[in-house]
Amino acid sequence: MNTLAAWAHPQLAAQVIRPRRDGRSEIALRVDGLRDARQVLALEQLIHALPGVQRVAIDAPAGRVRVVWDARRTSLPALLGVFAGARCSAQPLRHDSIDDARAEEMHAALKRLLVGGMFAMQVMTYAFVIYIGVVDFVDFTTRGLFRWLSLLSTVPIVFYSAQPFFAGAQAELRQRRLGINLPVALAVALVFLASAVNTLRGHGEIYFDSVSMFVFLLLGGRYLELRARHRSGALGDAVIDATPLLAERRRADGTLETVAALALVPGDRVHVAEGGTVPADGVLESGTVRVDEALLSGESRPVTRHAGDRLVAGSVVLTGPAQLRVEASGAHTAAARLGALAERARQARSPAMQAGERDASRFVARVLALTVLTALGWLLVDPSRAFEAAVAVLVVACPCAFALTLPATLTRAFGLLAQHGVLVTRSDALQPLARADYALFDKTGTLATPQLSLADITPLRGDTPAQVLQWAAALAHESSHPLARALADAAAAHGPPPRAEAVQVTAGAGISGTLDGRALRLGQPGFALPCADAAATATMDGALLLADADGAIARFQLAEQPRPDAAATLASLRADGVSLAIASGDSASRVAPLAATLGVDDWHARQHPADKLALLEDARRRGHVTLAVGDGSNDAPILAGADVSAALASGTGLAQAHADLLLLDGRLDGLANARVIARQVRDVVAQSRRWSLAYNLLAVPFAAFGLVPPWLAGIGMSLSSLAVVLNAWRVGGRA
Amino acid sequence: MNILLILIPVTLIVIGIAVALFFWAVNHQQFDDLDSPAVLPLLDDPPPRDDSDAACVEAEKHRD
Repeated sequence: MNTLAAWAHPQLAAQVIRPRRDGRSEIALRVDGLRDARQVLALEQLIHALPGVQRVAIDAPAGRVRVVWDARRTSLPALLGVFAGARCSAQPLRHDSIDDARAEEMHAALKRLLVGGMFAMQVMTYAFVIYIGVVDFVDFTTRGLFRWLSLLSTVPIVFYSAQPFFAGAQAELRQRRLGINLPVALAVALVFLASAVNTLRGHGEIYFDSVSMFVFLLLGGRYLELRARHRSGALGDAVIDATPLLAERRRADGTLETVAALALVPGDRVHVAEGGTVPADGVLESGTVRVDEALLSGESRPVTRHAGDRLVAGSVVLTGPAQLRVEASGAHTAAARLGALAERARQARSPAMQAGERDASRFVARVLALTVLTALGWLLVDPSRAFEAAVAVLVVACPCAFALTLPATLTRAFGLLAQHGVLVTRSDALQPLARADYALFDKTGTLATPQLSLADITPLRGDTPAQVLQWAAALAHESSHPLARALADAAAAHGPPPRAEAVQVTAGAGISGTLDGRALRLGQPGFALPCADAAATATMDGALLLADADGAIARFQLAEQPRPDAAATLASLRADGVSLAIASGDSASRVAPLAATLGVDDWHARQHPADKLALLEDARRRGHVTLAVGDGSNDAPILAGADVSAALASGTGLAQAHADLLLLDGRLDGLANARVIARQVRDVVAQSRRWSLAYNLLAVPFAAFGLVPPWLAGIGMSLSSLAVVLNAWRVGGRA
Repeated sequence: MNILLILIPVTLIVIGIAVALFFWAVNHQQFDDLDSPAVLPLLDDPPPRDDSDAACVEAEKHRD
């Protein structure tokens, strides 16, 4: 209940509650534990039972709930209490993540579709009467009346339903590129204008039925595509929401508690571990640190910050832990920047429409040329049929399906990958992943997780194991290295560690700090005992040593457990024809057993980041497409250097990740799934493109010779687009 | 054929009404959630009430 009450703080509430014009409040929540529809409905009824609740919208697959209510009648903690009472944990999301754009886009598309459908049916009945009237019982003036009625009924279709095509074409023209909206808009406008002129003149063919059906069918295809896109978009959002940026706040007694960065208030003291993201704007209280602000300023070189300097939210602390006092003034700007971090992840995920459109624009240019040629050809042969044939070519040859292929397939793939716990941060990463045939794995933190039990602790000066573990944990707590984390985790069972002062982390070596006035060093033997000679430390290779000024205090032997899914993932990659390699900074005696367990013959010990990069370069020279897998920030060089890279990280790790794929929740098996999906995407895209090209090539001659009426061309176009969208759903069908 | 002059405007009015109704429904989020209403009839639990409410019912039973 304590955490619930915290949301009564006005500054916190202001970050998550969006005031509405009608005086009510709106909030978006991330809710876990919604399993079946009955539970969803029960929850809905519970919320509705609260006083002042106006509207509840629950999106169960995305784990999102939106509530509109009167905050004066029910407080935010009371609202959250209902969720806690229903055994669903609810996490408020930042108010700017309340996304109306999607719902409104959907509403507009649905309205346009329905108006199009209703009036298209009306126009069809009139057209039917006219077709019969030519033969039989309706006299000539009635025929004129029906032509005018058709014109009248087509007006809402062209001027309301077809708006997106005209707006799209306009945008394309303004950007001086040829998109798929242009031929559609051109066809609709030309056919409508010609028919309207013929209606006014009182004679000549009219095509109101064709143009209205054309627009209706296209809108139907687009609506389905929009639904699929929003669905997978919501699933991806759910993954990002599930990993909010966390902060470690120091309580009054000096111990740390983990809270959402959103829940920080000015004056809070926050601890940021080495490699961590600064959760809020604030003043640096501890010693000098190096900070990566690339995401905020674009400056790629790390900057140095001294005690008393300001740190901005979203930057990454590279060296040593930082102690931060949260400031009042920056709360809003910082929050916006953190929002931008999540936004970056969202944008990276949204399929690159441009990639498909680049290919399409060349295509459109040819379509337009072909249309003009057809018109000219018919003008020479039979001018009366030139217009109809030209319009048919324009519609038939329009590369809608072609342009849809990549976005539709990627949308589907990214949604699926998000379900498998894989976030794609570079939209063209799937292609090299499908082709990759050499994979380089980091060991510690990636293939294996270090674990420590009390039996592996050897006190060297007569202290108890629990005591030396507490001392070591005080230092280890300040680092994000996997070994340090294993130590801290082992110590957590024995209560919170004491607090160390003046902690400095030396990358790749160890941690130093002062505990109760005693200078302690934890790390590789060479680091812990800088004065000892190499021979003395060599015997302790592979262990962590805790030492003070008088010498070694204790030795920690960390056993490494391969991740539970490591063997299966490597086996499936190997079966897929990928040659595997392990490169570790560790000693050979520790890499060899793990490599043997996992069945990897090609392993390298004592590798510095530069050596690992050389391994990759060498593989690439031999013609391999390389995949690098690491655990986030400390493998940055190989992650950046490989053709495609994956990192085990949380969603907030995006800030520092140089990886193309992020494997969430420490699940390595996502990698094998991602590769299967990447291959399916490649195959499906190639197949869809072949289909759409074959369809266009096949239909164009018929249209050019005047054998395809415009309405049939419209149906063909919609069906081919629909076929591509449906084909995209084959991805993940047989994983 | 004069009947057409009456019936055609009638159809147009009907379409107008249908479109207006549909717009109202879309604007009031009637189409936002198409999944959970399907299970609504399957809910057998009575709507949850407050503990105080339940206590009142109990008290009344005892009085009888």
